[in-house]
Amino acid sequence: MAEEIKNKQTEQEENDIFAKRRSVDLTPQNARFIRSEGGLISLELKNGNGEKESFERVVPVRAFPITDPDAYISIREPDTREGGKGAEIGMIEKLSDFDKETSELILEELDRRYFTPVIEKIYNVKEKFGYMYFDVLTSSGKVSFVMNNPSSNIRVLEDKRSLIYDIDGNCFEIPEVDKMDKASFKKIEIYL
Amino acid sequence: MKLQFELPEIEAIVFKNNVGKGEHILYCVPFDFHEEKRVSGYMVFTEKKIYKILVDTLLATYEFGKLSGFSVEVMLGVCGFYAKVDGNSELLCQFISGRNLARYSVMVNACEKIASGELELVENDEPESYCPKCGRPFVKNTRICPFCQSKLEVYKKLFAMTKGLRFMMLFPLIVTAVALVIRFIVPFFQKAAINDYITNSDRPDNYMTHFLLIIAAIVTFDLISRILNVIKSRLSAIAGNRFTRMMRTLLFEKIQMLSMSSISQKSSGDLMGRINSDVSVVQDFITNQLPNYFSYILSFVVALVLLLALNPLMCLFVFVPIPLVVFVIFKLRGSMHKKIIHRWRKRQKINRYLQDVINGIRVVKSFGNEEKEIKSYVDNNEEYFDRDMDTCMYFDTLFPVLSFVLKIGSYMILSMGNYLLFGGAMTVGELNQFTTYTNIAYEPLMQITQIPRVISNFITSLSKVLEIMEEEPDIYDANMPRHNKIKGDVSIKNVYFGYDSYNPVLKDVSVEVKSGEMIGIVGHSGCGKTTLINMLMRLYDPNEGSISVDGVDLRDMSQESLRSQIGVVLQETHLFSGSVRDNIRYAKPYATNAEVIAAARAANAHDFIMNLPEGYNTMVGEKGFSLSGGERQRIAIARALIHDPRILILDEATAALDTETEKLIQDAINKMTVGRTTFAIAHRLSTLRNADKILVLDHGQVKEYGTHGELLDKKGIYYKLVMAQARAALGGNAEE
Repeated sequence: MAEEIKNKQTEQEENDIFAKRRSVDLTPQNARFIRSEGGLISLELKNGNGEKESFERVVPVRAFPITDPDAYISIREPDTREGGKGAEIGMIEKLSDFDKETSELILEELDRRYFTPVIEKIYNVKEKFGYMYFDVLTSSGKVSFVMNNPSSNIRVLEDKRSLIYDIDGNCFEIPEVDKMDKASFKKIEIYL
Repeated sequence: MKLQFELPEIEAIVFKNNVGKGEHILYCVPFDFHEEKRVSGYMVFTEKKIYKILVDTLLATYEFGKLSGFSVEVMLGVCGFYAKVDGNSELLCQFISGRNLARYSVMVNACEKIASGELELVENDEPESYCPKCGRPFVKNTRICPFCQSKLEVYKKLFAMTKGLRFMMLFPLIVTAVALVIRFIVPFFQKAAINDYITNSDRPDNYMTHFLLIIAAIVTFDLISRILNVIKSRLSAIAGNRFTRMMRTLLFEKIQMLSMSSISQKSSGDLMGRINSDVSVVQDFITNQLPNYFSYILSFVVALVLLLALNPLMCLFVFVPIPLVVFVIFKLRGSMHKKIIHRWRKRQKINRYLQDVINGIRVVKSFGNEEKEIKSYVDNNEEYFDRDMDTCMYFDTLFPVLSFVLKIGSYMILSMGNYLLFGGAMTVGELNQFTTYTNIAYEPLMQITQIPRVISNFITSLSKVLEIMEEEPDIYDANMPRHNKIKGDVSIKNVYFGYDSYNPVLKDVSVEVKSGEMIGIVGHSGCGKTTLINMLMRLYDPNEGSISVDGVDLRDMSQESLRSQIGVVLQETHLFSGSVRDNIRYAKPYATNAEVIAAARAANAHDFIMNLPEGYNTMVGEKGFSLSGGERQRIAIARALIHDPRILILDEATAALDTETEKLIQDAINKMTVGRTTFAIAHRLSTLRNADKILVLDHGQVKEYGTHGELLDKKGIYYKLVMAQARAALGGNAEE
């Protein structure tokens, strides 16, 4: 039994080294996403030979979470596999290619995995020892967070969005800083 | 790390109402995310079940009997705790990363134990990184909460740093006070001169002598005050320079002492900025600004008192513009501070940009992107220009306006004074004395208005300096570190390590190495090879498990003694500015010339060094003679050999070289590994021909360990790799 497991393991590693799973383009023709029993996503995949492969659970990951959140979504095995990162099963080029039900299912899971609340109001910013303590109102309620090193933790994008990362790596978004109320703008202005 | 949180009242009642018989709380940890909202709930783990409680509701229960495959997944801004329920994956709870991520990673372990029936509690002594008092995070790598720490402490720390310089720093203050007294005395003489002699028509007989005496006194006082000022400036300069020297040394020492993990979080431009400019700002404040402001405030107060004593009524006029000025300054303090900070940030941005691009100039050039980079620089510069102009305009307008407002007081005093003078209620001498004092009182007022700006500059820089000073190195010597002579037996036992504790890079790595053995480490990139080697050098400590040399845990050895007996050759060879000899002697500064040559010979470097124009004295490094990759590599090997290390570490030492050079270096390596415990990472397996044992790492785990022959027989990963490289080599030959 132990021998068998060991063999199986080595087999998998050989696959790792030499024959990495080949990622395919996922389309409504070859991929069927279903809500799994545990409320997550299962995938049934038809490969080129018409053989079916099914995955109890797959995980969507955005390739461009900031600039193109709804395009190029990588569908991967979960990270739980013994010894490492989940392999890519395939990629969805455009979420809109799929029917509404499917894209909602995937979006729902994506929302669960990408949480960037929008900052609506800044109540207070205190600065001590190079750390900035924010009290803000976000789209998901009142939040206090701490940021340091504003030059590297605030990203202003070309489309005027500002992303603020707190010291734990959580991300907050301000769609257009200069459209915020004056009091809030004044508090964040100097960090931009 | 806290794994047994106390349930609040309501949650405790919910739990009590639902818990089964004979169940006890083993762990209780918070979760803070539910249905896209930040919440405050608890996951309660008993022997049989997991209870998910959010305030007054029991959201779910899971039976351990049905659970398997626990895991934590990290995404942007939120993490999930997953498990399989009856074989179906399910999301048990979500939490915001940071505060609880490490906790749930431990819980994965704990849950696996409970599910398998083991009831021994998992413990974890990783310190919390959040202040228990206010819940805010500590300053990175410290146990300091800026909110709960008193300001007094900061000033105390600063005061402690001035040890040995205090008298020198105090002296300028004393001189300032003395100079001030003189300044206030002079107008008395002036008054006497004017009233008794200049405007007085019936002068006494010997008025010329008296008058000259008064003039002489004025000149003497002026002279004394100037001499005192010279002494003051000199002492300030000495104290200031000593203070800066000390601060810079302390900072540099600290940066050198900090572990790799905290250094890699900061950019080198930022560190340089702190050592250079921030220290200068702190120095300037302590040695120049502080005595100046002391003198400003003192002279303002004394002038006011004297004015009040001379003529209380006229003194009122002095006060007329003050409230206005103070009000304006107070109103604008915030925006003044902001402008300064903003400008500072822009300058930092330029610094960082320069650092980045000048270091990467080869890449810029090789992609022909000079124009683009010039444009970026111009844009950055433009931004700073705008900021700086804005700040200058602001201050250069504000201050003249304010000083005019202040002058209004003087004008009023002049009118009032002349009115009194014409009425005979005041003498010319008194008026002169009064206006002189008025000017003395106003003069510092303009400076005093700048105090907030200067202090805010100072505090910003000081806190940046203190930030580094207070960072605790997370690798430190044990209480009584051992300075052993290493024999070379290395034993790695169940080592777990991750740069973040929730994301292990090495998992349960165990290897026994005998003294003198050469171990080849093989695996694809990112599998933890370099990490393992960093741990052998103790650049990082393992999260779990231990690494020991000759049976002594690395943590019990002195770092200095350990590293002085390890020789390292890395793929990227950094040679310092200096001669070839200096570079070879880096690890043993007093090595004799004979030793240097012997090391160079052993590294096959002697011949090419002899061909350099100035032999071993040729300058290399940034400004020196440019050497090829292979030549640099051989100097690095000589550098690693010179102190006769017991343990050798070769990290891809031959990866970037052509075959010819590789042979030379391989030969050098073969010579150097004899009798030394060697760890060699190599992509080219041919490099590892002489290795006694091969260690195959995959995803941070040891997959194969044995001799070349054993592993080939096993037909595992190593076999496949050897075959693949052989095929590639054959294929390459066939093409030729």
